[in-house]
Amino acid sequence: MKTTLKVIQLNFQLEWSERRSYFSILIYVLSTVYLSNLVFNEILSTESWNAFFWVIFLFAAVQAAYRSFHFEADQRFLLYYGWVKPEHLILGKIIYNFLYLLIVALFTSGFFGFLMGFPIASPWAFICVLFLASLGFSAILTLVAAISAKAGNNPALPAILSIPLLYPQILTLSKLSIRSLTGFSWEINAQLLIVLALLALVSLLLSFLLFPYLWRD
Amino acid sequence: MKGIWWKALGILLVLYSFIAGLLGEVPRLIILNESIRVLYYHVPMWFAMITMMLLSLIFSIRALGDKPGADLRASEFAQTGFLLASLGLLTGMVWANATWGSFWTNDPKLNGTAVTMLIYLAYFVLRNSVEDPAKKARLAGVYNIFAFVMMIVFIGILPRMTDSLHPGNGGNPGFNQYDLNSDMRPIFYAAVIGWILIGTWISHLRIRFKSLNHEA
Repeated sequence: MKTTLKVIQLNFQLEWSERRSYFSILIYVLSTVYLSNLVFNEILSTESWNAFFWVIFLFAAVQAAYRSFHFEADQRFLLYYGWVKPEHLILGKIIYNFLYLLIVALFTSGFFGFLMGFPIASPWAFICVLFLASLGFSAILTLVAAISAKAGNNPALPAILSIPLLYPQILTLSKLSIRSLTGFSWEINAQLLIVLALLALVSLLLSFLLFPYLWRD
Repeated sequence: MKGIWWKALGILLVLYSFIAGLLGEVPRLIILNESIRVLYYHVPMWFAMITMMLLSLIFSIRALGDKPGADLRASEFAQTGFLLASLGLLTGMVWANATWGSFWTNDPKLNGTAVTMLIYLAYFVLRNSVEDPAKKARLAGVYNIFAFVMMIVFIGILPRMTDSLHPGNGGNPGFNQYDLNSDMRPIFYAAVIGWILIGTWISHLRIRFKSLNHEA
C-alpha cells in the first residue's frame, strides 16, 4: 500500500515537472469540443450530445493515458526493478490514471456543456457514469500504455489496441448516459450499472494479473 | 495430434454437411423459408472460430510461462479463427440480404463480430510491431488474454441484454438449438465438428510450415 501511494506521488511529481502534457490534453479537449461546436452550429439533440461527448472523451482518455509509461520507457525501468513490485506499480499507475481521467471527464463535460448546453436531467447519475467510465478506462488504458511502451514507439498503437477493448464499456456507458441525460431511474438501470462495474472490475483484475508478465524482461 | 484419421473425419463431416445440407428436408418456417439451410454453413463457423480462439488463448497462457513454440501456435490459431470469422461474416451477410433485405444491420451480434475482428486485427498489428521474439511472445500473450475475455463479454454477455434480429432471439421464428428440427440436428452437429477439425488442420499445417522455415 505504501509503495503504491509512493508510486502515485512520484508519478504526479514527474508529470508536474513536465506540465505541458497536462496542457496539451486541456487544449486537445478545448479544440475538439470547439470543433464540434463549429460543425454543428446549433443546439444539439440529446442523442448527438451524448455521442459527441463520448467520442471526444474516449480520444482524450487515450491521449492522456498514453503517457503513463513515458518516463519508464528506457533506463528508468531498471531503477524500479529493485524498488517496487510490479503489482504495486500497476496499481499506482491505474489509480493515478483514474484520478487524471476523472478530472479530464469532468472538465470535458463542463466545457462541452458550456458550449453546447447542459441537457442533463440527472446530474448525479451522469457523474456516477463518468466515475465508472474513468475506472474502467484507466484499467484498460494503463495496461495498453504499458504494452505500447514496451513495443516501441508506434504512435498509432495505443489507439488501435485500446479502442476495440473499450467497445463493450463504451456501448454500455453511452446507453446509460443517454438515460441520465433524459431522466434516470436507479431501479431500472441498476442492472446496467452493475454490468458496467463488473466490466471495470474484470479489466482491473486482468491488468493487475497480467502486468507482471510485461514487466520482467 | 498425430495420424490421419481426424483429418479424414473432418473432410467427411464437412462434405456430409454440404451434400446433406442441400438435399435434406427442412421445416417450412415463415420469413426463413429455404434460407434456414444457412444454419449448416454459417453457424458452424462461429463454433469453430470460438474453438480456435480458445486454443489460441491456451497457447498464449503457456507462452507467458515461457514454453517454446507456444507463441507461434497461439498466433496461428488466432489467424485461422480470424479466417473462420470472415467466412462466418460473409455467409451471414448473404443470408441477411435474403432475409432481412440488407447486408448489414446494427444487430448486437453483428456488432460483436465486428468488434471481435477488430480486436484480433489489433493483436496482429501488435505482433508485427515487435521484433524480438521473446518480447513479442509476452506482449502478444498478454494482449491475447485480454482480447479473449473482451470477446466473450461482447459476444456472450452484452447481446443477451438486448433484443437481436437473429432467429431465436426477440420474436423471430427460431432455429436455436432448443427447437432444432430433428432432421437438421445431425447435419448441423456434423458441420460444427467437421469445421472445428478442418480449422485445427489448417492451423496445424501452418504451424508445421512456420517451424520448418524457422529451423532452416
